Amino acid sequence: MNLRLFAAEELKIALRSRWTQIFAVVFAILASGVAAAGYVISGGHGVQDFARTSASLVHLVVLIVPLVSLMLGVLSLSLERGAAEVVFALPVSRRTILLGRLLGLFAALALAQSFGFGLAGLLVYSQSGPEGIGDFVIVLGASFVATAVFLALAAFLSADAFGRRRTRALALALVAWVVGEVFIDLAALGLATLLPSGAASRVLILASLLNPIGALRTGALLLVEGTGAFGAASLALLRFTHGPAGATTLIACSLLAWTLVPAFWAGRRLERTDI
Amino acid sequence: MRTGAIAVALLLGLGVCARAQVDDGAVTVGQLEGRPAPSDLSPLQARLDQALPGSTVVIPAGTYRGDLFLDRPITLRARGEVTLIGSGHGSVVRVRAAGVTLEGFTIDGMRGGDLGRDSSGIHVTGSDARIARCRIRNSLFGIYLRESSGTVVEDSEIVGIPGLDPGEKGSGIHLWNSRGFRLERNLIRDVRDGFYVQSSEGGTIRGNRVSDIRYGLHYMFSDDNLFEDNVFENGAAGAALMYSKRIVFRRNQFIRNRGFASVGLLLKVCDNVLAEDNLVADNARGLFVEGSEKNTFRRNVIAGSDVAVVLYDSVSGQRFESNSFVSNRTPLLLVGTRTDTVFRGNYYTSNLEPDLDGDGASDRAFTLGSVFDHFRGNVIAADLLVDTPAAEALGLAERTFPVLRKIAVADDRPLAKAPELTAVPVAARVRGAASLVGIVVSAGLMLLGLAGFHLGQRPGGAA
Repeated sequence: MNLRLFAAEELKIALRSRWTQIFAVVFAILASGVAAAGYVISGGHGVQDFARTSASLVHLVVLIVPLVSLMLGVLSLSLERGAAEVVFALPVSRRTILLGRLLGLFAALALAQSFGFGLAGLLVYSQSGPEGIGDFVIVLGASFVATAVFLALAAFLSADAFGRRRTRALALALVAWVVGEVFIDLAALGLATLLPSGAASRVLILASLLNPIGALRTGALLLVEGTGAFGAASLALLRFTHGPAGATTLIACSLLAWTLVPAFWAGRRLERTDI
Repeated sequence: MRTGAIAVALLLGLGVCARAQVDDGAVTVGQLEGRPAPSDLSPLQARLDQALPGSTVVIPAGTYRGDLFLDRPITLRARGEVTLIGSGHGSVVRVRAAGVTLEGFTIDGMRGGDLGRDSSGIHVTGSDARIARCRIRNSLFGIYLRESSGTVVEDSEIVGIPGLDPGEKGSGIHLWNSRGFRLERNLIRDVRDGFYVQSSEGGTIRGNRVSDIRYGLHYMFSDDNLFEDNVFENGAAGAALMYSKRIVFRRNQFIRNRGFASVGLLLKVCDNVLAEDNLVADNARGLFVEGSEKNTFRRNVIAGSDVAVVLYDSVSGQRFESNSFVSNRTPLLLVGTRTDTVFRGNYYTSNLEPDLDGDGASDRAFTLGSVFDHFRGNVIAADLLVDTPAAEALGLAERTFPVLRKIAVADDRPLAKAPELTAVPVAARVRGAASLVGIVVSAGLMLLGLAGFHLGQRPGGAA
């Protein structure tokens, strides 16, 4: 009951926040841009099926959604000192409050993304057949998973960030985003150049399964495009994971761990923090 | 140790695939199918046996069961809908004389015969045959031309046996030792190779449409051939040119070859080839060149590929001039460490260098591919990071501080603006009718989002 109350309250606040509204509009513009570009690409000589459009949307999602989830997550979850005192004085466990607020935030961001994807989908489906509808749902799903993972990380970063420490949490969130987007892959590439070909491939495969952003991108692209997504690299990955079932399990475990572990630690830290 | 084993296994696997590409197309010339057994003969056979050489036999509309054997130069013409249904034991129409013409028949192979005997809808061993406006279905090979020089196949339609593996099917139009042929305006799908041309020189293939195949067009040991204005779509390769010299091709479309190892156009041990004004678009890999010398690619559009050009270091003397490389993920993948390939005066959408002196070319040379692309050529799993910010960052870093040893393939006169290549064909859009399900789902999502935001604004809202 309390959980629902907090979730509903957080959802309402988030939907009224200018940040969320701006995100909804910007995301809608970007997604429609990608969808429209899919049809005009290759200089008038072009052909582009929906799988290609979906692939471009996957790249957009794994770039933008983590950033926005981290930023809005930290902004909402780390409270001003006064507000924090009021909220946590309520006779409700801190974990319940945190979980409720996370769910509310998730719902708000999911609504914003639904709006964007809806607009992009309208653009695509007003000029093409229904064959890509499964891909469309996959990209939407990937977007929601990305939101969940990075809201959990945001909760972890803002668990003891009240008052002046909010800025620090925000900075850390930005760093986490850059590390996930660029540095892990760069480090893996750098390491791979030093290793013999087999070990190099192994490093790159691990980097793209264990890093939540890599796992999202790899999983979504494989689902949308099949083994065509990465050419021979797809087969190398499937061989490494002993088949599609293994790949699915690894990616699912990776993403689940990246959601549950930070959320759990966030609750623990929050309970132990002196406000 | 284990990774080593996996890598070796992968490499071996690739090697086997590459070999299979060459080998399983090769023909084992089987025994020639002769006159069908009396029980397999069509009721029309009696008329053919009485026809005088040079005469025209007109077949009235109707369905005729059984195979036909033509051993004299006659013209066989269908009046209205004539369907020839094969016995199911071999080729339906067997042409064993020169100068035979077949016009307007529908031929059903009844999935009969076997590949070793070259069982076909129409099997021709005489020269100067002419096959026009025929529709062939359910046969292993569509039309088989064996030592049949000067033969013409036009305005015909060949649909293979659906549901069979490529290895169990024959080619749409198969040529062996047949010179000076002309194959025009045919429609071919669901076969192994659309056109398979072996040891056959001096032919023309023009204006055909081939789709849902292994290779759209496959030359083996066939020099001095010409193909123009064809469309090759959705196969393992749009066209595969192997062990042939002096092939010229213009204004063809090699499109939508999207399998994980698919190629728009494959050249293997082919010399002095000239490619002009072709469209190579929406392929996993656009051009794939191996073991070939002195080929020229001019004014082609290569668009929407994961890799536009794959070059092995076994090639030499390739020239790419005035082509347009549009929206490819990467323009060049070099397998190996060196190439003498010349890229000059091409246009690349990924070239952002300005043209300040206004001479139509960018002021600086354009380097094809980055250090990341080179890496991709050598470590298989690197493809997992294609299009990621990390790969972009690596490319940018290398351009800014070129400290890494370069495999320099550069175009020193890259065009600043897309050239107008008016002769290059424009692909028909894949464009179904608007999808109701898609529109409803999308509109639903959009409304859900809007409604959420709207309700959230209400004072004390019910969010």
